Amino acid sequence: MNRFLRVTLLLIVLLTACQPAKTTPVPSVTPVSTETAVPTAAPMKMTFMAGYKPQADLPFVGVYVAQEKGFFAAENLQVAIEHSQGQGAHLQLTASGKVQVTTQDAAVLLQRRADPSLPLVSFALIGQRGQQAYAALESSGIKTPKDWEGRIVGYKGTPPPDMFAMLKQAGADPAKIDLVNVGFDPRLLSEGKVDIYPVFKSNEPYLLQSWGYKLVLWDPADFGVPTLGLAYVTSDDTLKQNPEMLTRFLRASLKGIQYASQNPDEAINIVMKYAGPETDPKLMRYMLDAEMKDLVIDTGHANLPGWQTKAQWQALADMLQQNGAIKPVDVDQVITTKILEAVYGK
Amino acid sequence: MKRSTWIAGIIVLVFLLLWQGMVWLFKLPPYLLPAPSLVVLTLVTNASMYASATLVTLGEALAGLLLGLLASVLIASLLSLRPALEEGVMTLAILVKSTPLVAIAPLLTLWFGFGILPKILITSLVTFFPLLVNLLTGLQRVDRALIDLFKSWNASRWEIYSNLRLPSSLPFLFAGLKISAPLALIGAVVGEWTGASNGLGRIMWLAYSNLNLPYLFAPILILSLAGMLVFRFLIWIEKKCIFWQAISMDE
Amino acid sequence: MRLVVRDLSHIFPGKPPRPALRNLAFEVESGQFVAIIGPSGCGKSTLLRVAAGLLLPDQGCVELDGLTPAQVVAQRRLAWMGQSPALLPWLTVRGNMLLAQRFRPSGGNSRVEVEEALQQVGLSEASQAFPFMLSGGMQQRLALGRVLTQDAALWLMDEPFAALDELTREKLAADLLSLWQPRRPTVLWVTHAIHEALRIADRILVISSCPGALVADLPVVLPRPRQEGTPEYQNLLSRLRAALGSGKP
Repeated sequence: MNRFLRVTLLLIVLLTACQPAKTTPVPSVTPVSTETAVPTAAPMKMTFMAGYKPQADLPFVGVYVAQEKGFFAAENLQVAIEHSQGQGAHLQLTASGKVQVTTQDAAVLLQRRADPSLPLVSFALIGQRGQQAYAALESSGIKTPKDWEGRIVGYKGTPPPDMFAMLKQAGADPAKIDLVNVGFDPRLLSEGKVDIYPVFKSNEPYLLQSWGYKLVLWDPADFGVPTLGLAYVTSDDTLKQNPEMLTRFLRASLKGIQYASQNPDEAINIVMKYAGPETDPKLMRYMLDAEMKDLVIDTGHANLPGWQTKAQWQALADMLQQNGAIKPVDVDQVITTKILEAVYGK
Repeated sequence: MKRSTWIAGIIVLVFLLLWQGMVWLFKLPPYLLPAPSLVVLTLVTNASMYASATLVTLGEALAGLLLGLLASVLIASLLSLRPALEEGVMTLAILVKSTPLVAIAPLLTLWFGFGILPKILITSLVTFFPLLVNLLTGLQRVDRALIDLFKSWNASRWEIYSNLRLPSSLPFLFAGLKISAPLALIGAVVGEWTGASNGLGRIMWLAYSNLNLPYLFAPILILSLAGMLVFRFLIWIEKKCIFWQAISMDE
Repeated sequence: MRLVVRDLSHIFPGKPPRPALRNLAFEVESGQFVAIIGPSGCGKSTLLRVAAGLLLPDQGCVELDGLTPAQVVAQRRLAWMGQSPALLPWLTVRGNMLLAQRFRPSGGNSRVEVEEALQQVGLSEASQAFPFMLSGGMQQRLALGRVLTQDAALWLMDEPFAALDELTREKLAADLLSLWQPRRPTVLWVTHAIHEALRIADRILVISSCPGALVADLPVVLPRPRQEGTPEYQNLLSRLRAALGSGKP
């Protein structure tokens, strides 16, 4: 019996002592002189949780770069970077204050505010257009949404309202479409299990093209459907109690995005540090380039990255409501321009 | 080497050759089914990454298993000494077991932070129920003749428990461990099945979302090997501990 | 220890209920070796379990020196030996003996007594062996040795040699006798072996089939060692057989 215990104890010691450091690398602090640094900054700490896995989504990239190039340090802001466990855990953790800033797709944010009334608010909109589009193989001969009728169309999660809005615009009849629930698996398209597959513009198209397939893509925004992309999100409480911290965060992250747009190769190297060798750097580069395109769209506010207006959010909310995706929600509760104003000095 | 090990080795080899052959024959692209040669190559070129990830996952699995073991020993012992509590406690245990981990995981992060502790707790939740059931059965199912003997010695409930029930529950404990040890491995991987952690689960999840199947399959190889080794280890320890019973595994 | 059985009755619940004992009554003087014989399943085990404090009877009682069995168990003055040797398989022969020692009332150099007991049951050489290495006979000898170390005033034995072959049984019965003679505790020994009972016991009680009641009470006043061929022996044997055959008082 003693022998058994001793062997077990030895094993425990060995295995629990051999815990490598977390893969989140130690930030390399190269202080960058920044003219926008607040002079008498008291040190602040916060946790940022990316709303998905480590990859080159633009809001994530801004944070990774800001960490590695010392932009956070220059703001005297210590940021711990985490990634979501999935199932919307990042939203729960932000709502409860365990995490201070996270990211979220605008439409989903509206939905969560409507039900179950998560007290979350967007303080910067990085993706001025939505991330989703729909793809078919060029070889299928499908050219317009009207051609979707009688075909198998996949959707992720719940049937997307932007798709129905797009079909309506294109004069197609949603009832004539065979809807199937799919997960993340573009092979369903390449192997012909679905005719139309829902993609993230910055992701699956690259994979399919790298496998040698040519695609046709439909972006609902091209059909006049209001869509918005990823936002930086915080809780009502954090916004009220710590706007200074959020301002520093946003300033540094936007600087990170700007740096990435000018130094994309270096930015991808930084992303790979967080993502690991299972990730394809070429895919990451594709993702970064694709999302950069949606960073600034001429909507009349002087091309300020991250800016958001009530009008654009209201348009999205109306579209969602018309398509039965949400209950009425007060858009003023969902967004704030306070932090943007502080950063841009307006 | 024993004959059965030879046979096992040959079966595995044949399986691998068939797999390799299929990929070559049907010209399957790596994103549909990678060849074993590619998987092994991936494993070898990233040996240190996989090694440290394996240590993490194994560490979580072991810690979770031990925690589950501790909890089940305490609870089973309590129920054996105070049988009146059995129904109530078992109802609670079933409640805990039936709650889907997906619902609990964010709560654990909320209370215990972002580190390794929530993963260990998830693993222990997964392992403790089979251990509890087996251990309780073992503590209760003692030869009546022995109980009579102890009673005639005026042994107290505690003395019967520590001298008789506990040692005679060992075979049942090992039966429970043979179920819970593989569960612990699965539990640890499931707990890591996000980008939010370290370990083999994280690698698999990231690899899948990049449809990078060679990177996905390499951990599967590692986990199968680990599972096999753990099982053999348990059988070896069982033979050492329960030396009075002939365990017929090697014939 | 003087043993008095008063009007003992017990019915095991069930469908149908099983009556085990009915108005059983007898007395045993201190130091007597009593064999109890009877057809299977007629309450002999029940009687012994009541005497050992393992069962509370529906009616009646067993008195041990005026005390209840529970009280005597608390004083650890009785020793129990069942059909199965009831050994702890993870302890050696010596370990099993020492365990019994632990449950004795305090006092005495227990180690020495264990050695003595091992010697008396002929297991000194095997003291480091484990029970699974021993034959059935050796295992029961160990159980017997355990009883010795307890130094009890009452030995309750429920068919201890029933699972063994005839030769081993005879040998063990003889051993039992030689172990009993120097100490003379009171012994209630349930057995099926008529000849062994005649050879060893001071008195033989015959109990009928269900519900168990006393059929015959035969004192065996013959000097030991007893010869099978003698007329007194044969007389007792036929009386015993008759009592067993008739099944009634």
